[in-house]
Amino acid sequence: MQTVIGWRGAIAAGAVLLATGAVVAQSTAREQLARGQALWDQRLSKSAIAALEAATRDKSTAAEANEALGRLYTFKGWQQDNVMPGWHDEPAYRVKAIAALKASIAADPNRASAQEALRIAEGFAAADKVDPAPPRPEIRALDAKLQSLAADGPVAAILAAVDARAKAQADPAPYFAGAQILIDRGEYDRAIAMAAHGVPVSDHFIDENLPAYQMSGKSQGSYNRGRSQAADLTGWALFMKKDYAAAAEKLDEAERLTQGQDFANQFHLGELARARNDAALARAHYVNALSLSGGPAPLRQRATQALKAVQPGSTGVFETWMEGELSRRREERQAAALKSLVDRPLPKLALTTVDGRPYDTSGLRGKVLLLNFFASW
Amino acid sequence: MAFLLVSIDEDDKRLQRYLNEMKFPFPVARVKAETAEQVMGFDNIPATFYVDRGDIVRYYVNGSEPHGDSPTRVSWFVDQLKGPAGARR
Repeated sequence: MQTVIGWRGAIAAGAVLLATGAVVAQSTAREQLARGQALWDQRLSKSAIAALEAATRDKSTAAEANEALGRLYTFKGWQQDNVMPGWHDEPAYRVKAIAALKASIAADPNRASAQEALRIAEGFAAADKVDPAPPRPEIRALDAKLQSLAADGPVAAILAAVDARAKAQADPAPYFAGAQILIDRGEYDRAIAMAAHGVPVSDHFIDENLPAYQMSGKSQGSYNRGRSQAADLTGWALFMKKDYAAAAEKLDEAERLTQGQDFANQFHLGELARARNDAALARAHYVNALSLSGGPAPLRQRATQALKAVQPGSTGVFETWMEGELSRRREERQAAALKSLVDRPLPKLALTTVDGRPYDTSGLRGKVLLLNFFASW
Repeated sequence: MAFLLVSIDEDDKRLQRYLNEMKFPFPVARVKAETAEQVMGFDNIPATFYVDRGDIVRYYVNGSEPHGDSPTRVSWFVDQLKGPAGARR
């Protein structure tokens, strides 16, 4: 009797365990789904995909998770070109988008939102051209809110606006914009802390979206841009605090990362050199800055005036001198960018024609060849 | 002297649209980005290789040249290779 009770008890306990297990699995799947959706809202693709894929494996969330994945893949396949600097479409996701949306409908044939998403993806597949996704209104509103506080908003409100924007989308832009605003407001220590916070955020955002950059040089350029922005902002805040030695260290770091090709950084280095009474170095940085494109017109005007202040001579003489210097600097930069691979044989590369047939390169032999690799994006 | 443009585009329609728009007067071939990156050793585009008559790469420019006087520069490279320095070795 005791055995029977034990046996029945075991069945009952097993049933409870199974039911509990199913509930736990459903709850975990539901959590993964919510997590995946939240990560995708922040545009953290890699983690979002992992969470959503996990949620597709449970029947209770399969339809919803597959739809979310299908929408994410649709964005990556057709709509992400230049949505963030350096991003390009990843056509490999196109087939996956349609497959995920079909899986969503297979899991729940009445799911109207997935049917609509599939219609859109199939329309993209058939279209000659698909426009990139437009800027998200909620992100634009949060950016605008931050900028509206720049001139005279309370510092606490600026910090809260940066925080709100950073939570909505995980790119580093609000930290760098916030740091610039705080410098302009004389809040140098807060600006330095905010710029420093932007660095791991920038690295993480690029890590999460690495394939969107298509080439390692492009993703590396983006890593460097985040780090150099932070270093330049920090250096400029330290300059404003008159801590010139520490400012030099950070501004030099930004110069290394940008290879001397960022207008604002060169202007800041010029200002630092002038403050340290090194007219020759100040001149070199101002000339560097002005020989680059970029930078707002008022700042370029300031750089020209600053250059004039460290270069004695009448206006006419100065202008002729400046034109000559700018042209010389541009030529030097061109020479420095050149990488010579003298004596390296041209590697063998299997090319195809535009429509996919093998490309015959025999006609190129014995000729001087200009070989240019390009992409339409 | 020969010119060859090589696209690393994955998207057929987009490439065709671009070619229709640009009307390049040179032949265009294609290669996978990953293959090009590995074999040619560049990590950014555009990437331009100037090759002499003996199939030796003599100059290489990686990335765009935002401040460059491109036509003059390209002519300079080509002139170097068309002269005695670019002869088959």
